[in-house]
Amino acid sequence: MKLGVLVSDYKICVETIDRMKSDNLGLVLVQNGVYHAVLKEGGKESSLLGKTPRLYVLSEDLQSRGLSAEQVDKRVKVIDYSGLVDVIFNDFDKVAWL
Amino acid sequence: MADVKCAFIVQRPQYKGETSRLALTHALSYQTVEVLLDDGDTVTPSLCFVGEGVLGISKGQNAMAPYGINSSELHVKNCLLVDLDVYVCKEDLEKYGIPEDQLPDAADMEAEKTINVVPFAEIEKIMEEAKHVLFF
Repeated sequence: MKLGVLVSDYKICVETIDRMKSDNLGLVLVQNGVYHAVLKEGGKESSLLGKTPRLYVLSEDLQSRGLSAEQVDKRVKVIDYSGLVDVIFNDFDKVAWL
Repeated sequence: MADVKCAFIVQRPQYKGETSRLALTHALSYQTVEVLLDDGDTVTPSLCFVGEGVLGISKGQNAMAPYGINSSELHVKNCLLVDLDVYVCKEDLEKYGIPEDQLPDAADMEAEKTINVVPFAEIEKIMEEAKHVLFF
């Protein structure tokens, strides 16, 4: 199953994602989920970045929080709302929102 | 007549929900409007950012362009403008790798106050001295 998960929180989503079974997982970091793409808590990057190579972050939610695309981990693709629509319709069978 | 201290503790990031934004607007209203808990009492609010709450106050926020809402940065600057005491936990800034120069000031609005970056022990002291402690 191609599963797209929109991650909208910083702390509480990681365990749930660990439990999800998908052979083709994609993570879209939105709202407060964008901190996963930027922060290095205690010097360590978010463990979500190692879950899948298909990582996206929403530029509008970076902008709202005073974050820039330059701060985003290189593995994460920065997309806008238009790009988000493309990803949802073209890349996944199902989409979940956490 | 007494001075009633209220501590507003923000422990969540801004924007996803209204909760953390309410701390800013409540603290601001206590500072600017004569809200009396009892007749004759004055109220002194303090606004403290701890834990993930420190994520929501970086400068350079622009929530107006994509979402049409005022940024939390502007709210913090308004707090400073009205001489509200704003505290940010030093340990939590370090934990999330946020440099102190990433915090906003309101010098462009001619505010005299600036954000106080303090150890958590000092925020604990503020909570101890407050009659009312409110977590957001």
